[in-house]
Amino acid sequence: MGKRTMAVLAGLAMGPALLMGHAGAVWAEYPPEGDFVRGARLWAENCGRCHNIRDPRELRDDQWITTVYHMRVRGGLTGQDVRDIYTFLKQSN
Amino acid sequence: MAEKRRRLKEAAAAVALGAALGAAPVQGADTARVAEAIRAELEALKSRIRELEKQLAEQRRVEQEVKDLRREVRSAAEWKSPNTLIHMAGYADVGYTDTRSRTGTFGSGTFNPILHYQYRDVVMLESELAMSVDELGETTTELEYLTIDWFANDYVTVVAGKFLSPLGWFRQNLHPSWINKLPSAPAGFGHDQAAPNAEVGVQVRGGVPVSGNGNRLIYAFYVGNGPAAEIESGEIEMIETPGLGGDADGKKVFGGRLGLYFPGRRLELGLSGAAGRVGEIEEVGKSRKYTGVTRDYDFLGADFTWRPRQFEVRGEWVRQKVGDQPASSAPEGGTWQAWYLQGSYRFMPHKWEVVARLGRYRTPHSEVEQKALGLNYIFASNFVAKLAYEFNDDRGAESSGYEDRLLLQASYGF
Ligand code: HEC
Repeated sequence: MGKRTMAVLAGLAMGPALLMGHAGAVWAEYPPEGDFVRGARLWAENCGRCHNIRDPRELRDDQWITTVYHMRVRGGLTGQDVRDIYTFLKQSN
Repeated sequence: MAEKRRRLKEAAAAVALGAALGAAPVQGADTARVAEAIRAELEALKSRIRELEKQLAEQRRVEQEVKDLRREVRSAAEWKSPNTLIHMAGYADVGYTDTRSRTGTFGSGTFNPILHYQYRDVVMLESELAMSVDELGETTTELEYLTIDWFANDYVTVVAGKFLSPLGWFRQNLHPSWINKLPSAPAGFGHDQAAPNAEVGVQVRGGVPVSGNGNRLIYAFYVGNGPAAEIESGEIEMIETPGLGGDADGKKVFGGRLGLYFPGRRLELGLSGAAGRVGEIEEVGKSRKYTGVTRDYDFLGADFTWRPRQFEVRGEWVRQKVGDQPASSAPEGGTWQAWYLQGSYRFMPHKWEVVARLGRYRTPHSEVEQKALGLNYIFASNFVAKLAYEFNDDRGAESSGYEDRLLLQASYGF
């Protein structure tokens, strides 16, 4: 791979990261509010695929954030799935 | 004397006041009356001022309290949603194993703390340590995984570092003891057996909805340093897959898993594959060294999960192969292959669960057929007590090292 190609690829990879950096600077709430009803359904469908389903009351809101992002990576969930599931969990604990 | 002076003072005050008000000066009894009235009024004013002062102090106190409360609420919210989250999870287990040819022993099992750091919804650091105590009392600590996961967009997460191999299902998703329904891994699905354990490299993973009814495609592709073949006395002893922190052979391994999940049918299917070249590690004297020789490597796997009602049926087949290499001291390649089929039933709403597992593990040296039966008590979804018996039948020329055994385990995922 030529140095130019590498630079272009690096630029393409960094572009979205820089844009995201800007969005982050606004300090919007995260994760953005999702859909409670869809979240409840997705929780029931997905959170028992690998292990016993965990009770929403087991963890605090902030602990659920890291957990659902961890599970997003494990279970191939989409960003929207995770936002909806988190909305369900934080309102059910 | 004092009384006189006071009177005089009052009179003077009254005169001064009268003058100030522009009234005609008054004399004698009138002066005393007016002074009296004024004194009373002054007293009333004084007490009113005192009252107001008290009210003011009270108001100030309340204001301060509100301020303090506001500050407290703000700092409480700070705890709730900082931009960086720190989270500790993990699991631990303890147990007792009674093997046919040996006396039963207590085992400390493992303590696997997981540390998560997350910056907003942008990036997450995942790390897990595996700690255990061996027979001689030595504590070993291993880095089970350590990755930085960048949530690039809703469908793509880029995972870099040391990760659990995305090939197959058991190793990445079922091995933690609070998840595994039996106290042991199926034969062939332990460390350095047929199913790859970990990998060091880069992974792209995520999921895509494939229809409106929740069906989804799940993917994970990676490139990594790859495993290594362990050579001993002219044979490949095993394929090491601990996630090698270097790539002595200089050739990468590529692979991944594609899965489909149908929530309506409660069915999940997956296919995994990997290929590349791997190095050889040989014991020379007391040290382990790369031989400098590389060989072909490939992996194939298939898995499924079906969870009708309180049943759960899982099955998986894996095959890991290292090619022939005439230039090696162990010229012949080999295949490590294993499968298991596991069924379990949870007696709802009770806490009992029964499990049965059947499997087979074949290496170039040995072959074992394993049957396991288990009874679990699920105190909570993350705290389980397990009792199991494993029947192991050697089918190959050499001993597989597996023996019939009774296993007891308590596991807590936190
Ligand atoms: C693809 C399999 C899979 C799916 C789907 C899954 N989990 Fe997990 N989950 C795991 C594994 C594996 C672990 C243990 C992680 C470890 O030990 O490395 C785990 C751990 C956890 C833990 C313990 C804390 C932690 O972060 O380790 C919680 C809580 C949890 N999962 C909740 C959920 C919820 C909620 C969902 C649904 C959004 C979910 N899981 C979906 C596999 C899965």
